[in-house]
Amino acid sequence: MRSAWTLRIGLLAAITCACLGTPAATQAQVPADFFRQNCSMCHTVGGGHLIGPDLEGVTKRKDRAWLIKFLQSPKAVIDSGDPYAAQLLQDAHGLVMPNIGGMTPDLASALLDVIEGAPGPAKSELAGVAISDRPFTPSDIALGEQLFRGEQRLANGGPACVSCHTLGTIGGLGGGRLGPDLTQVFDRLGGRKGLGAWLSAPPTQTMQSVFRNHALQPDEILSLLAVIDDASNHSQPANMSSLAKFVLFGFGGMLVGLALLQLAWRGRFRSVRRTIVRAQVRGEQ
Amino acid sequence: MNVRSQISMVFHLDKCIGCHTCSIACKNIWTDRKGTEYMWWNNVETKPGTGFPTDWEDQEKYHGGWELHDGKLRLKSTGKAKTLFNIYHNPSMPTMDDYYEPWTYDYQHLFTAPAGDDQPTARPKSMVTGELINIEAGPNWDDDLGGSPIYAANDPNLKGLSHDTQQQLMAVERLVFFYFPRICNHCLNPSCVASCPSGALYKRGEDGIVLVDQTRCRGWRACVAACPYKKMFFNWDTGKSEKCILCFPRLETGQAPACFHSCVGRIRYLGVLLYDASRIEEVASLPSDKLIEGQRSLILDPNDPEVIAAARENGVHESVIESAQKSPVYRFVKDWKLALPPHLEYRTMPMLFYVPPMSPVMSNRTNGAIDHVSDDLFHDIEDARVPMKFLANLFGAGEEGPLRYALRKQKAVRWYRRFKTVGDVDEKTAMRMLSEADCSPEEAEAIYELTSLCTFDDRFVIPPMHREEAIQMMEDPLEHKKSVGFGFLSGPKRGM
Repeated sequence: MRSAWTLRIGLLAAITCACLGTPAATQAQVPADFFRQNCSMCHTVGGGHLIGPDLEGVTKRKDRAWLIKFLQSPKAVIDSGDPYAAQLLQDAHGLVMPNIGGMTPDLASALLDVIEGAPGPAKSELAGVAISDRPFTPSDIALGEQLFRGEQRLANGGPACVSCHTLGTIGGLGGGRLGPDLTQVFDRLGGRKGLGAWLSAPPTQTMQSVFRNHALQPDEILSLLAVIDDASNHSQPANMSSLAKFVLFGFGGMLVGLALLQLAWRGRFRSVRRTIVRAQVRGEQ
Repeated sequence: MNVRSQISMVFHLDKCIGCHTCSIACKNIWTDRKGTEYMWWNNVETKPGTGFPTDWEDQEKYHGGWELHDGKLRLKSTGKAKTLFNIYHNPSMPTMDDYYEPWTYDYQHLFTAPAGDDQPTARPKSMVTGELINIEAGPNWDDDLGGSPIYAANDPNLKGLSHDTQQQLMAVERLVFFYFPRICNHCLNPSCVASCPSGALYKRGEDGIVLVDQTRCRGWRACVAACPYKKMFFNWDTGKSEKCILCFPRLETGQAPACFHSCVGRIRYLGVLLYDASRIEEVASLPSDKLIEGQRSLILDPNDPEVIAAARENGVHESVIESAQKSPVYRFVKDWKLALPPHLEYRTMPMLFYVPPMSPVMSNRTNGAIDHVSDDLFHDIEDARVPMKFLANLFGAGEEGPLRYALRKQKAVRWYRRFKTVGDVDEKTAMRMLSEADCSPEEAEAIYELTSLCTFDDRFVIPPMHREEAIQMMEDPLEHKKSVGFGFLSGPKRGM
């Protein structure tokens, strides 16, 4: 017995250590990986404007101290009334750059080094995911819809979009409601380029944890962009909120269900004595 | 021939005074426990009336018993697939209101009520929920035609009677009723046993008593729906079904069942019948006009050497065969053909038989004198206040023939006894009636004696039960000899 307990406690301790050890390993990443995972969905270096500005030559546009301050807390700098920060906010359609966890002055400085391209990997790697510029074709849209619905598995095994999101009129009842409705997301997240970058490394906590090890392929992203673009073009402003539709549909379904139950058990036993007494009393009146 | 024995019963309705003593005797012994308040394993109904539970004879509503489908028997309420489909909600289940909500009175209020201008009252209180209720119905709510425009007018046995006859039945000057005491019929082809998904119901091999194994019962209540006589009851406290057990603990110690023993009118007879179990299905599938004859043919002559040999071969004890030879039930049912089963058209082959009641004589008032003599000596059988068709629906599976036969014979015996004791009937008339009613003077004497002069031992011929032998069929009583001492069937309870 004693040895079994020792084994159990040992296992528990090992699991705890493994869990605690993982974040420590993340912190020790090289700045280039940090950029790919945390910045590339909004910024490129030499790849053009996404949601945030292209960071090529950023150290020439602003001095290093200002940039390090901004990286640590963009909102604080914007709130302080800094005119350049206000301009950036306007360029990003009012989207405030979020605080990045673990952004120490040392890390910020190292990131700027990477952006400047001093040492480390080739700049092209930070230019964002290469997604074809060709126009969307109907087959792109069809493939995208299949991917969205999960009729075709994502190559790296990520879950289908429909399990958490709904898009336009896809599926009879729409998709999942855990994540936001994606009908208008194409414009909201900066069109083809911005959304493409976003999809290449989804930044939100939920998406990140799901897709960290199941990244989307560039051709998949293209197809998904095609179908999301198509949905935003064809979506009509609904005159009834989807919730109301859902409730109505549920109510109608319940009525149909009750009617079917009544049909199936129409010969069932109903009260005998009360029926007799009531019929008689009614007859006398 | 597969000869088996069954403890069988006859209720002589011409003697029933409707006192409900039988119901009370049964209630006090068996159903005074929590969860059984509403059960009446024995109850007495007024006919015409709807009985307990209300309108139980209307199988269009209750779906009890068997029906013929392509010449094969099948349960009306359920089947293998239906059982599975309806297992959590049986659609043929009577509601509590169709029995009645059992109640007591808030007697405590009489002692605790604050001083006031009026006497305090004890209001009725449900024995199920404990809430104060308005009493809407009871187990003999339509007793003695109470509420007859509602209850008696809805008697299912009135089916097939002309509108005029029905109206006459309710007319004040012709008003008539008789009593119909009921217990479990301990049928030969019990639909309750057939319907049980748990296999908890069984018919005891040695005496045919139908019982519920309380440990195997899972409370599906299929039996409640399947029994056409509604003599299966669900105990809402234990979650198991219960039914009349024909007081088998009393029978095993040589005593008559409580309802039999306490019967004031001495209407009840009990005795063994030998029957041919191999033909039950064949007989139960007969067309309804052949059912009565069919069931009689199942019951075997206990004096026939062939039957005796077959019974011995089947393990029926010698003492049981002897008991069957003395059975008053055999004489009423087979010899005299006076007793008939209730609603044989349900095809459960009930083994409780009823001697149909004679209704009051129809008389004419002529010149201030009441005259009821007609040239046709049996005229008041045909013109009885209770229409023949009504009795036929109840005891003849719709056929009037067997009813007419039984009533004519009863009347002939009465007139024969009037010739013997009162002397206002001449011998020629009495003998003519007997011969017209297919009855010899000796038979008439025997009927008279067993009807009117019967002693306790004439009425109840209880066979020695030989439980020890029945048990030996299942287990070896010496299996644990010398291995255990005093003990318990189930472990003693400890703590609180």
